[in-house]
Amino acid sequence: MTTTDHTGQDTQQPAAPQPLPPVDPQIAAFLYLEARLADEGRYSEWEQLWAEDALYWVPFHPDDDPRRTLSYINDNRRRIHSRVAQLNTGNRHAQTPPSVMRRLLSNMELLAQEGDTVSVGSNFALFEYRNQQRIWAGRVLHTVRQGPGGYSLVSKIVHLTNAQGPVETLAFLI
Amino acid sequence: MTAVETDPRQDAGVTEGFDVGRVVQPDRVHGSVYTSPEIFQREMDTIFRTGWVYVAHDSEVSEKGDYLTRRVGSDPVIVVRGKDGRIRVLLNRCSHRANRLCNAPQGNAGSFRCPYHGWTFSNDGSLTAVPMRTGYGEAFRQVREDLALAEAPRVDSYGGFVFASLSPEGPSLAEHLGRATRAIDRLLALSPTGTLDLRSGWMKHLHRANWKMVVENNVDGYHALFTHASVYDAVRRAKVSHVPSKVDVVVRDLGQGHSEIDYSAEYRKLDEEFVWYGRAPREKLPEYVAAMEEAYGPEQAHDALVVGPPHTLIWPNLFLAEMSVMYVEPVAPDETVAYTGISAMPGQDRFNERTLRRAEGAMGPAGFLIADDGEIGMRNQAGLAAHDPEWLVLARGLETDIEDDTGIVNADKSAETPQRGFYRRWADVVGQETRG
Repeated sequence: MTTTDHTGQDTQQPAAPQPLPPVDPQIAAFLYLEARLADEGRYSEWEQLWAEDALYWVPFHPDDDPRRTLSYINDNRRRIHSRVAQLNTGNRHAQTPPSVMRRLLSNMELLAQEGDTVSVGSNFALFEYRNQQRIWAGRVLHTVRQGPGGYSLVSKIVHLTNAQGPVETLAFLI
Repeated sequence: MTAVETDPRQDAGVTEGFDVGRVVQPDRVHGSVYTSPEIFQREMDTIFRTGWVYVAHDSEVSEKGDYLTRRVGSDPVIVVRGKDGRIRVLLNRCSHRANRLCNAPQGNAGSFRCPYHGWTFSNDGSLTAVPMRTGYGEAFRQVREDLALAEAPRVDSYGGFVFASLSPEGPSLAEHLGRATRAIDRLLALSPTGTLDLRSGWMKHLHRANWKMVVENNVDGYHALFTHASVYDAVRRAKVSHVPSKVDVVVRDLGQGHSEIDYSAEYRKLDEEFVWYGRAPREKLPEYVAAMEEAYGPEQAHDALVVGPPHTLIWPNLFLAEMSVMYVEPVAPDETVAYTGISAMPGQDRFNERTLRRAEGAMGPAGFLIADDGEIGMRNQAGLAAHDPEWLVLARGLETDIEDDTGIVNADKSAETPQRGFYRRWADVVGQETRG
């Protein structure tokens, strides 16, 4: 089932926008888990959520082509492991002490479903306290795959509202 | 801010009677150079209004009409390639009522039209249209020609790096760069076309630190073992040891405030290509290696690939961060924006993609290295709130500095030779007589 295509119903006039389908509560629960582990700095548990073909991407702009454009974060699985390993040293100064964080994940919509893989779009607001409180917000796109061992996170793409910068240090898990 | 009013020792920043010797000495600097609003203003008036400042790379404005909005010190500017092909640095202020004229970060335009009253300027800065002009009298018509956009009187480039000076007089860019041209040459020697492309976008990282903290740190060979221990412990070993006695890595004051950490002797000793590029084997970069050999011949290409890119600070605001490029814009005494991009090699898409991923790993607000440097800079700024001791010590290696035809060199990479060179220049520039 593909749920993203709303076009072509009427050649005279574009179809009125339709609501997207809701997200399966079990997938929503998986995404809340991801949010909670990130908030609480449970780095190794967070890392276990990821699939082998992972992409953790924080671009400057949604239309950017990462082959030609720099991003704030563009991690494959190996680099996610390194990021977590650095945080786990307890000596990652920019997260020593770690930020105190709570994030809200809302406006969750099912963007696409193909076989065992679903794409979910959400808005988020993240309250980060470290010396002072900062607010991070934006749109987050998750791709989740269901396998025999449960769900795994294939991609997480974060479009920050302030991606045009300047951006403060972002050493926690956004 | 610190309590400058109540402490006569910190009064050195006032414009009249500024005695630079009270804040910079050969082996130490006074904390107020990082905190004083008066000194910050004086830096804007001297370093950024009288000297050469990096503003852009020519690849970013390669077509006629291409423009970028940047800053020179506290002045917002438009860097634009005009209809005549010339790059100008126009002050971003309508000559009528001071509205900021251009509000996009970049684009292409033949003219800039002020949204307030419609005054229109060509991309060479000249005033081309004043709506409802009959409303102006004869006196206005006589001054109209003088109402072009203000522009930096001098714009020049070296190896594609474009610099501007807001002063009509002073040393030429070549004189200003001096030995630092060699660093740019070293970077260009890694490009099969001899040119660079800096259009891969810029990370804009807000540092809660004085701009000098941000730039000095880039040529500090002492901190890596401590600040970046988490990377070497958990992710990967340093490319070569950071223990000074184990490596032929030198620090160098190139003169005029330019300075560097130079790994070339160590790399030549190893005679190994791409140590500076994650020790990637050349088999993983076949197109790039072939293009380098095609352009320069196998021997010269090999040497360039061994020696690698520069790690050089070009006074005051440009850092050639090996394959990355960083420049800074000071915002306030305790606030700086660092822009980080990469040096892409024209026609080398696969190589450039690798360079992008490497830069993201190391640099910017989430980078494994620079996020921690930013944190250390913030803590430095916080520590300066303690008023005692008043001075920061830059004495490391003072007795072992050796002057030769490349500059002042110290064989101990942890020597504070680059910082001493930076502040000698700083004292010359910031200590000069100002117009008041």
